[in-house]
Amino acid sequence: MRTGLVRWARASSPWILHFNTGACNACDIEVVAALTPRFDVERFGALKVGSPRHADILIVTGPVTRESRPRLLRIYEQMPEPKLVVAVGTCAISGGVFSGCYNVCGGAWNVLPRVDVVVPGCPPKPEAIIDGLIRALELLRKGRGVGR
Amino acid sequence: MSWLDLMAIALFPGYAFLIFMAFFLEWLDRKVLAKVQDRYGPLVVGPAGVLQPIADFIKLLSKEDIVPRGANGLVLTATPILMVVLPLVALTFVPINGREALLPFEGSLVAVLLVLVFTALLIFLTGWASGNVFAAEGAMRSALQMLSYEIPLALTAICPALTAGSLSISTIYRRQAEAGMPFLLALPPLGALSFVIFLICSLAELERVPFDAPEAETEIVAGWMTELTGRRLALIKLGRDLSFLLMASLMASLYLGDPYTPKLGLLAPLAFALKVLACAAIMSFVRGLMARLRIDQTLRIFWTYMMPISLGVLLATKLALMLL
Repeated sequence: MRTGLVRWARASSPWILHFNTGACNACDIEVVAALTPRFDVERFGALKVGSPRHADILIVTGPVTRESRPRLLRIYEQMPEPKLVVAVGTCAISGGVFSGCYNVCGGAWNVLPRVDVVVPGCPPKPEAIIDGLIRALELLRKGRGVGR
Repeated sequence: MSWLDLMAIALFPGYAFLIFMAFFLEWLDRKVLAKVQDRYGPLVVGPAGVLQPIADFIKLLSKEDIVPRGANGLVLTATPILMVVLPLVALTFVPINGREALLPFEGSLVAVLLVLVFTALLIFLTGWASGNVFAAEGAMRSALQMLSYEIPLALTAICPALTAGSLSISTIYRRQAEAGMPFLLALPPLGALSFVIFLICSLAELERVPFDAPEAETEIVAGWMTELTGRRLALIKLGRDLSFLLMASLMASLYLGDPYTPKLGLLAPLAFALKVLACAAIMSFVRGLMARLRIDQTLRIFWTYMMPISLGVLLATKLALMLL
């Protein structure tokens, strides 16, 4: 019963931290569109928070550049468990058209220990981002991170 | 102490009721803000999202607890607990059931003002003990802000006390019923002016827009809360909801007393709760309307305008009471 309550609470209150690792801003605009009036993910309890210490879900956009790699890792490590990573956009998944560039380490896949949900698209529509968020919530509802 | 007294302290109008009311106010706050911004706000967690603050609270309780190496763990453990306890204690001085406070005593208004100062000091301590530059910056801003709003708040809270001739919140509330009208309408326009000053000072006390520079998330991450995780953050959020409830119910009891509510019997708590919700909704509405002031602008507003105005309203109230 206790586990059920915790799972429900975690799946009902995803607080989002949005980090741009070198995106062209198209994905960021779509992420912000998902947060603002027309799409409003606060319906599902999502809040955009400023501090990684408060966040549950890290939304990564853009290819991970050499400059942003240590920052991305540090932000990921600052987040308390259980945490999920959602890679939004083709660049965040694989590096996109920038993969193989001298200054790009690839996508979030190549840098972070794990990426839980990917949302492909260049850029993905806000509907797709909300869909990715809901799939992340399904992972939490199924008990990801319970017992930690 | 009888069994009924214990029930009153634990359930209604005691701690259980106050905590649920605080969660309800947070939901109302988010809903009103969302309506102002043409959004839905919390919607799927419980009917119309009303369980959202409870889900947030349980989730934060279940998250990993991190104390950074540079932080003072002892202080970061003590402050969240005190930030819940202090407003809870202060709320027992307020006639939240529409008739009489749980602990009515002469001078409870001064005790509540003292609790508000302590809350602000706890915020400073939390930020300072976090060992983080953003938290320290937020703590400094919070302390500066406290220096600005505290005096006008105390001066304007004395106005209803002067009119009622008592420093007990319960007595002030009862005198308004005896006088037949809320202090808001008394000695026009002094009562209304005093209410507006109290409202503005409450916004600063609660660090809400436009006075949210201490936790400005677009410039200093999350201000003094930056390093808090898990259950510490859960308790701090609950404490801030309780402070919100405290300020709204203070407003309702000092300014919005009326002769009908205490006679309603079982419906009196409901009538009082509606006033509290109305006051909270005003504060949430302001949150949606305004942008953030810089900390120097906050200080200037309070020291150059609010201070003289509140002093003038206090003197005018005293003069009016002597002449009339």
